[in-house]
Formats: sequence, C-alpha cells, structure tokens
Amino acid sequence: MTAEGAVVIGWPQLLLAASFMLITGALSVAIGLGLVKDLAVASVRTYVQLLALGLVLRWVFSVRLWWVVVVLLGVMTVVATRIVVKRAPDAPGGLFGSALFSMAITAITVTFAVTALIVRVPVWYEPRYVIPIAGMVLGNSMTGIALALERLFSDLDSRTGEILALTALGADRWEAARASVRMALRAGLIPTINSMAAAGIVFIPGMMTGQVLAGADPLEATKYQIVVMLMVSAATAIGSILAVMLSYRRAFTADGVFLEKGLRGPAS
Amino acid sequence: MVVAPLLAARGLTAVRAIDGRDVRVLDGVDLKLAPGDIAELRGPSGAGKTTLLLAIARLLPGAGGSLALAGESADATDPAVWRTKVALLPQRTALFPGTVEENLLLPFALKSRDGATPPSAEALRAALDDVGLSDVALDRDTARLSVGQAARVALLRVLLTAPRVLLLDEPDASLDDASAAAVAAMTARFAEAGGAVLRVSHLRADAAATVRLHLEGGRLGGGDRDDR
Repeated sequence: MTAEGAVVIGWPQLLLAASFMLITGALSVAIGLGLVKDLAVASVRTYVQLLALGLVLRWVFSVRLWWVVVVLLGVMTVVATRIVVKRAPDAPGGLFGSALFSMAITAITVTFAVTALIVRVPVWYEPRYVIPIAGMVLGNSMTGIALALERLFSDLDSRTGEILALTALGADRWEAARASVRMALRAGLIPTINSMAAAGIVFIPGMMTGQVLAGADPLEATKYQIVVMLMVSAATAIGSILAVMLSYRRAFTADGVFLEKGLRGPAS
Repeated sequence: MVVAPLLAARGLTAVRAIDGRDVRVLDGVDLKLAPGDIAELRGPSGAGKTTLLLAIARLLPGAGGSLALAGESADATDPAVWRTKVALLPQRTALFPGTVEENLLLPFALKSRDGATPPSAEALRAALDDVGLSDVALDRDTARLSVGQAARVALLRVLLTAPRVLLLDEPDASLDDASAAAVAAMTARFAEAGGAVLRVSHLRADAAATVRLHLEGGRLGGGDRDDR
C-alpha cells in the first residue's frame, strides 16, 4: 500500500511511536518533573484529535459539497477567534466581533486568492486545497492577531501617563494611540518575518516536510512552500492590521479619553 | 454690562467607585475664572483636586455639569479642540521620547490645532532662554533633562500653544526652589497676558495667587479674591 513512493505507516508502527512518550514519561518520573499526567493526556489527545481530523477530512474530501466546506471554514474561524480573544486578557469588551470580522475577511480573501489565482483549482470549494490552506492561513493569522492585540492593550496601559498628556494637548484617539498601534503591529508581524528569513536555512518548513515525506519532488514542494509562506505573511499582516485598527478605539471614550484597564470592562 | 467670565463651571459632579461603593468626589462644584486670575486650589489628599481639573479639561469620563469658555458652551465644542483652549498639565511630567524641539512642536502636529503655525527654531530658542533654560539645546534628548528642566519644558510646551485657561496639577511637586520659582514666574506671565490659571498646590503657596479655593467633601469653598 504505497502512494507515489511514500511508505505508509501501519497501525502497529503508529502505536510503537507512543514508546517515545513512554521513555519521556520514565525520565519525568526519574527526575521528578511531575509531568507524567500532562504527558499522558497530551499524547492521548494527539492520537484522538489528529485521527479524528484525518477521518473528518477523508469524509469532507470524498463528499465534496460546497456547504460542508463553508460550514467547516466557519467553525475553524470561530474557534480561532475565541483563542485570540482569550489570549488578550487586557482587551476591552466587545473585542470578539472585530476579531471575528478580521479573521473572516483575512481567511476568505487570502485562501481563495491562493486557490483561485495560484493553485487554480477547477472547483472553487475543492476541499483538498481549500481546507488545508485555510487552516494554515487561520492558524498563522490567529497567532499574529493574538500577539498584536495583546501588545496593543498592554502597551497602551504602559503609556497611560503619556496618553493623558497627549490627550490634554488636544490629541484625538488615533494620535494618542498611534505609538502603541505601531508597537502592536510590529509585535504581530515580526515572528512571521523571522520565520520567512530562516526558512530553508534553519529549518525545513512543516508543510514542505510533509509533502516530501509523502513522496513529492522537493522542488515542487518548495514552490508550494514559497506560496504558503508569502500567503501566511500576507494573512498575518492583513489580519493584524484589521484587528488592531478596529479595536484600539475601544480603549477610549467617544470624547477621546483613554480608559485605563480597570475602567474598560471585561473582555467578552 | 455683565462680562462673561473666561471660564465658567456649573454643578460639576463626578462619581468614583472606591472600595466597592460609589463616592461623589465632586458634588456640584461651581467655579468662575476671569482673565488674569491665578486660582490656587487646596484641599486634603484624595479630596478630588485632580478630578476637578480633569473634569474641567473634559478628560473625565462620566463627569456631569456644564462648562463654558468665554460664554460659549462646551457642548458646542469638539472635546479635543476644547482641550487646546483649556489646557491641562498633568502632575506627572510626560515628555515623549525624542528631542526637546520635537516635544515643543508636537502639539502643532495635532489635527485639533489644524492650521496653527508652529513656532520657528529661533522662537523656541528664545522661549527656552526666557524660562531659564538657556543651557538646554533644542536637540537635547528629553531623557537627558533633569526633573526641573523637564517640568519647565512640559509647561513651555503647553504655553507655546497659547491656551486661554491653564490647569496645573501640582506643577512644582518634585521641584527644587529655583525651578519652582521659574514655574511660578511662567504662570504669572501667562495670567498677566490675559489667561486664567487654576493650579492645585500642595507644598508651596503661590504668592501670585489672586483666588484661593478649598475643595473638601466634594464641594468648593473659599473664593476669596486677593486684590493686587
């Protein structure tokens, strides 16, 4: 049972991989790390979640229904947004809406730009392409947006005195927040820029590794990887900029007065 | 003929949650300032002196009451534009990263002051010399100013924008006597030119003060006018 020269992993071998975790667990006990339970739970989750994903994707790829793809994209976007909001505890309430909007716009535009213009799939909702690409777009823009939002509000809070002085001099919300917006966007984009710069020298990107292991020609895999890296960077940039520009105002009143952390109300 | 005061505040209220219960920090404060007034505001710690300044600068969310500048109601003015005319200098000096010149010019780059001509480098130099900062170069990084120098640069930054009313929150709290005297002189000159000053004082009494006010229990007392 081989596909294009790739060696297929059998079920016994898959179980054998768990022995890595047995060794790690034994080490944990020996050194007294107290991580045995966490390791066990994480290992079981890896098996269950990824096998479930494989089964779901196998079904989605075989039925090839447009609405199944759309529902799946919707669920992925909502879950990613929840993670973003949870990671920015200092953010004001009402953030979910703007984060969801940013994630959705980014995921839709970048995913379908890639599938329609670069990969040129014959059917717009072709799940074999749309789902993995949307997954990478959402996963990466999620990290960027979360970093940017977390930094935005923590930087605003650290500049409370400066923002009061600026506002007292007649600055509007944008003028008072601008320095923090810059910081936030840099924080959101720098990991992506760094990984682009290190790709191919420091590490072989995950997607390319997967394709090569599955039997693809390394140069063909490289082309895909370049598209993916640029797409992910664009998604991170668009998503972070949208999310930050839509939410910085929430730290201010309509009169342009900055609301300190305690006055903003809880994130929702 | 009744002349409208430069600044009129009526029935200012502010509620703040302290230890889980709502406290009326300002409980109907009335205040009038005429051109040339230097009003000294005193009161026990926590009486709401800073809160009153914030309310007058329209920097206090949820504040109640009415404000007017030269007879014109605050409701008719954009809050950012109001703050360019009724200027608050917060207690903690906040100069921004950059040079002294960049800090002095910053207010002129704001949209609320659209159309205002920024002072020339010569004018800035003269202004610094005027307040005893002749040894401070325009391209000096603000991180390398002493506390007293920074306080004077921050006050100068506000004065150069020519506001009508100046709200000072303990401007000399952390200053030595010489710097405090320089700040008092700058304030006095602003008032002589027709501005009105409301200044929270804690340590030193301002000898030039024309009105003395006392804030306690959310209400304003005093208002005795010294005739100069």
